Amino acid sequence: MNESNVISAEQVAAGDSAVADEPLDERLALRGPIQQLLTRPEIGALLGAVGVWMLFWLVSAPFGTVGGTANFLDVAAYLGLMAVPVALLMIGGEFDLSAGAMTGATAIIAILLAIDVNGAGLGLHLAVPLSLAFALAIGWFNGTLVEKTSLPSFIVTLGTFFMLIGAKLGFSKLFTNKVLVEGLDEAEGYDFWNGIFGAEWLRNGHLWDERRWSGFWLLRDEIWAGLLICGSLALLLGLFELTYARRSKLNVSGVVIALAGAAAALVGFGALLELDGRNSNIVYGTLTAAGMIAAVAGWCRARYERPDHSDSGVSPGWIKYLLAGLAAVGAAVVLAVVMNAEDSSQLGFFGGDFGRALFALGIALVGVLAVLAALGRVSPGYPAIGAVLVAVPSISFLVTVQAARAILFGGLALIGITLLWSAASRVRPSVWVTGAISVVIALLAFFIQSEAGSRKIRVELFTLLLLVALVLGAAAVARYLSASRTSAPPPPAFGRWTQICAVLGVAATVIFFAVEVADGDAVLYALITGVTKGGITAFIAYTLVTAVFTLFTRDEGVGRALVTVGIGTVMLAVVTRMLFVTGAELEKICTVGSDGELRCPQTQFGVVVLSFVVFAAVGSWVLTRTQFGSWIMAVGGNKEAARSVGVPAARTKTTLFMLVSGAAWITGMLIAFRLTAVQADVGDGNEFRYIIVAVVGGCLLTGGYGSALGAAVGAVIWGMISQGIGFAQWNSDWRFLVLGALLLVAVLVNNYVRSRAEKAPVKSGATVPDRSGITIIVPKGLTRSKEEG
Amino acid sequence: MSSDFLELKNLSKFYGNIIALTGVTTTVNPGEVTCVLGDNGAGKSTFIKILAGVHQHDEGELVLEGNKVRFASPREALTAGIATVYQDLAMVPLMSVWRNFFLGQEPKKGVWPFRQIDIDKSKMIAKAEMAKMGIDIRDTEQSVGTLSGGERQSVAIARASYFGARVLILDEPTSALGVKQSGVVLRRIVEARDQGLAVIFITHNPNHAYPVGDRFVILQRGRSLGNWAKDELSQSELTQLMAGGAELEQLQHELSQTSAN
Ligand SMILES: Nc1ncnc2c1ncn2[C@@H]1O[C@H](COP(=O)(O)OP(=O)(O)OP(=O)(O)O)[C@@H](O)[C@H]1O
Ligand SMILES: [Mg+2]
Repeated sequence: MNESNVISAEQVAAGDSAVADEPLDERLALRGPIQQLLTRPEIGALLGAVGVWMLFWLVSAPFGTVGGTANFLDVAAYLGLMAVPVALLMIGGEFDLSAGAMTGATAIIAILLAIDVNGAGLGLHLAVPLSLAFALAIGWFNGTLVEKTSLPSFIVTLGTFFMLIGAKLGFSKLFTNKVLVEGLDEAEGYDFWNGIFGAEWLRNGHLWDERRWSGFWLLRDEIWAGLLICGSLALLLGLFELTYARRSKLNVSGVVIALAGAAAALVGFGALLELDGRNSNIVYGTLTAAGMIAAVAGWCRARYERPDHSDSGVSPGWIKYLLAGLAAVGAAVVLAVVMNAEDSSQLGFFGGDFGRALFALGIALVGVLAVLAALGRVSPGYPAIGAVLVAVPSISFLVTVQAARAILFGGLALIGITLLWSAASRVRPSVWVTGAISVVIALLAFFIQSEAGSRKIRVELFTLLLLVALVLGAAAVARYLSASRTSAPPPPAFGRWTQICAVLGVAATVIFFAVEVADGDAVLYALITGVTKGGITAFIAYTLVTAVFTLFTRDEGVGRALVTVGIGTVMLAVVTRMLFVTGAELEKICTVGSDGELRCPQTQFGVVVLSFVVFAAVGSWVLTRTQFGSWIMAVGGNKEAARSVGVPAARTKTTLFMLVSGAAWITGMLIAFRLTAVQADVGDGNEFRYIIVAVVGGCLLTGGYGSALGAAVGAVIWGMISQGIGFAQWNSDWRFLVLGALLLVAVLVNNYVRSRAEKAPVKSGATVPDRSGITIIVPKGLTRSKEEG
Repeated sequence: MSSDFLELKNLSKFYGNIIALTGVTTTVNPGEVTCVLGDNGAGKSTFIKILAGVHQHDEGELVLEGNKVRFASPREALTAGIATVYQDLAMVPLMSVWRNFFLGQEPKKGVWPFRQIDIDKSKMIAKAEMAKMGIDIRDTEQSVGTLSGGERQSVAIARASYFGARVLILDEPTSALGVKQSGVVLRRIVEARDQGLAVIFITHNPNHAYPVGDRFVILQRGRSLGNWAKDELSQSELTQLMAGGAELEQLQHELSQTSAN
C-alpha cells in the first residue's frame, strides 16, 4: 500500500494548513448536503415529480416506456420553454399576461408574412426574423411601459394580451377570411427553416441521416446498467465527501476491508447474473449486499474521522420510537404474509383481510404516534401517517384495482419520503432510523416480489426498492462510522485541471465536427454530433481527474466534483436507455412488411425537447451564477434598494420582458412548423399555466425568490399529469380536478418541507460535538434560533 | 484643500408639491469629513440622495472637479467613485450577504458567453470586509433579512467603504450599532478621510459628529443654516444647533457674526 504513504506525506504539507486557514464557525449547526437540498426552492417540485411519475408508472403500462416519456416530455417542453423565462420574470417581480397569446401571435405573423396573400408573400427568410423583431418589440414595449408609468405589470400586459388577441383574429380574418392561417409548408424557404424548428430525433429510426445512425446497439443494456451503477456510486461517495470530515492519515485496514467487500459484492453480483434459483438468489444476494455494506464500512474507516459516540448514544425516547415503528412494520409484514392472496376479491389485496388489517394497523399507529407526539417525542404531524393507512382501505372500495394499487404505492412512497426526510433532518441517533428504514424497504421489496401480480412491478419495483434499501443502509453505516463536519465545503481546488478538461472537450468537438464534415455530412448534423462527442470526451476526462483527486489528494472539495460526475453519469445512462434499442427489442417491436422491409414503430423527440432542456439549464445557470441573475433576484426582492446600489433596474426588467417574448417567439415557431396551420386563438390562456408551473417550481408570487430549474420540473409535472391521465385510462372529465389537487399538494409540500428544513435540525436538548470539541447547537438558515441570544 | 472638489450651488429638490430642499449651497473637500446635521425631515437624506444619483436636483448645480454633473442613476454616481450607505440600507432581504455585498458590482470570471460571478472570491471578500468591521459573519450565504439590525447596517457600511473610491456618504450609519461597532465605524471614517476620500456623514449623535467632523452643514426645514469649520464651533454649541428649537435663531445670529461665511 504505497498509496497511503503518498497521501499522508501530502496531507502534512497541504491539508493541515488548509484546516488552520479556515476555522469552522462554532455558531453554525451541522447541515448535511441532503438537508441543504431540502431548503432549495424547487424541492417540492422535485419530490412531486418523483411521486407523480411513480403513480402513473404503476397504473399504466405505456407511461414508463420510451414512447410514453417522449409523449409527456413533448407536452412539458412546450410549457417549460415558456415557464422558465416566465419564472425569471416572476423572480424579477413582474408578470406577463401576454406571454400565452404571444406564442400564437408570432406564429400567425410569420405565416401571414411568408405566404402569398394577394401575391405579396415575403418568404420565410424575411418573415421569421421579422416575427422575432415583432416579439422583441412587444417585450420592449411591455417593459418600458411598466417602467415608465410604474403601473402594475398585471394591468399593462393585460392590455397587450387583449390587443394581441384582437389583432390575431382581425388580421387572420382580414388576410385569409378564416380563423385558421395555413400554408406555411408552401412558403419560400420552408425547407431551411423546417430543418431548424421542425427537426426531430427518431428512436428506432434515424438521426438526421439514414446512413449514419440506426439507433441500434447490442450492448445497450450492459452499458446503461453499468453507467447507472457507476453514477449512483459516484453520487453516494460524493455525498459522503460532502458530509464527513477526512482523516489526516489513511487507515490501511479500512482499505483492505473496502477492497475485500467490493470484491465480494462483485463476485456475488456476477453469480446472481449467471445462476438461477431461489437458494442461489438468497446466498448471492446476501453476499452482494453484505459485500457492499462492508465496502462502505471499510471506505469510511479508511477515509473519514471517527465520531465520538460517547455522548451521542441512542436516547430512551429514540428506542421507544424505533420499537414502536418496528413493531408496527413487523405486524404489517406478518399480516401480509398470512393473508391469502387467492382470497382477495377483485379489489386486489385491499378488499380482503389485508384491507381490514391495514385499517386496524392504521388506527393503532395513530394511537402510538399520538402518544409519542403528546410526549414530545415526535412532531404533531406524525399521527397523520396512521390516518393515511386508515384511509387507504376505505378508498379502495371506491376505486378499481389499478387505482387502489396506485394509492397503496403512492402512500408507501409518501411515508417513505416522510421518514427519509425526518431521518435526514436529525442528528446522529437517527442512524438507527435510517438503518431500520433500509431493512423495512428491503423486506417490502421481497414482499412485493413474491406477491405482486404484474411482472413489471415484480421485477422493476423490486430492483428499485432493493437499490434504495442498499443506499440507505450504506448511508446509515457511514453515518455511524464517521464524524460529521459543517456544510459549505470549499470548491474543488483542481481548477486548472477542470479548465484542461474543458479545452479538451472543445478540441474534441472541433475534431469530430471536422471529421463529420469531411465525411460529407450536413453542417447542423455534424455540429450536433461533434458537440455531443466533445461533451462526452470532456466529461470522461473530468471523471478521470476527479477519480485521481479523490484518491490521491486531500482536496476537501472533491465531493462536489463527485456529485457532478454522479449526476452526469446517471443522466447519460437514462439517455442511453431512451435513445438506443437492443436487437431483442427490435425483433419484438418490428414487423417484416409484405415487401420484405423491416417496419418499426418510431418514437420522436422533437427539437422542442432539446430547446426545453437547454432553456432549463441555461436559465438556472443565469439565475444562480451570473451577474444578471443576481440582478433579477434583486429587482424582484427590493427594486429601490437594487437601483440605489447601482443595478440598472429598468434595463433588467425590460430585458426580462424581452426574454419572455423572445421565448414566445421560439415557441410560436415550433408550433407553426409542427402544425403548418395555426388557429387564431392558439396559445391564448396559457399564460396562467406558465405562472402556475413557475409557482409549483418554487417561485414566490411576490418576486425575489424562486428557481428556473423548479419551473422546468413543474412543467414536467404538468406534462406527466395531463398525459398520464390519458395513459391510465382514467375519465378525462376529472382531469382538471386531479391537476388542481396535485398542484396544490406540490405547493404545500414545497412550503412545508422548506420551512421544516430551515428550522433547527437538532432535536431540542441534543448536542453535536464538532471537530474542535466545542458543543454547538445553533442552526443557520432563515430562522434565527433562541439560543443565539 | 483649496480647490473645491465637489460643489453644490443653490440646490433645490421638490417631490411634487413638497419642497424638500431649497437653495442649499456648500462644498465638500477630499480629505475632510463633512457632517450634515439637522432635525428629522430636514432634508438630509434628500441631500445625499442627490449626490448618490438616486434623485436628481430640480434647481441649482452640482459641480464635480469643475464639471457640471447630473447623475442620472446611482450607477453613474458609483462609477464616479461615490458610494453611499443609505438610511434604509438598500438591502435585498431575501438575498444572501455576499450577493448583497457585491450587488451591482459583482466580480466576474470567465470569457464572455460563459462569464459568471466569481462566487468564492465574493464570499471571501465579503467575509473579510465584515471581519474588518468587527462583525464575524457566520456564513455569507445567510440571507440578509435574517441578520440582526446592526449586522445589516454593518454589511451596508462595509460595502460602501469597500467600493467608495472618492466619496463616501454615510446616512446615519451608527443608528443600530453597538458601542464597539460604532467605534469601528468612526475609525473607518477617519481612515477614509486620511486616505484622501471626501466623507459625508449624517448623524443625530453629536458625540459621534464632533470628534470626526471637520466641517458641519446644518439643515433646517429644507434650508441650509450655514457651514462651520470645526474650530468655529464647540461641541456644546454644535449640540445646541442640532437641538434646534427657539434658541436656534438666536444662536445662529451670534454665530453668523463670527462665522467666516
Ligand atoms: N419620495 C418622497 N416623496 C415625497 N416627499 C418626500 C420623499 N422623500 C422625502 N420626502 C419629504 O422630504 C422631507 C425631507 O426628507 P429627508 O428624508 O431628506 O429627511 P431627513 O433629514 O433625512 O430626516 P431623518 O433625520 O428623519 O432621516 C421630509 O419632509 C419628507 O417627508
Ligand atoms: Mg434621513
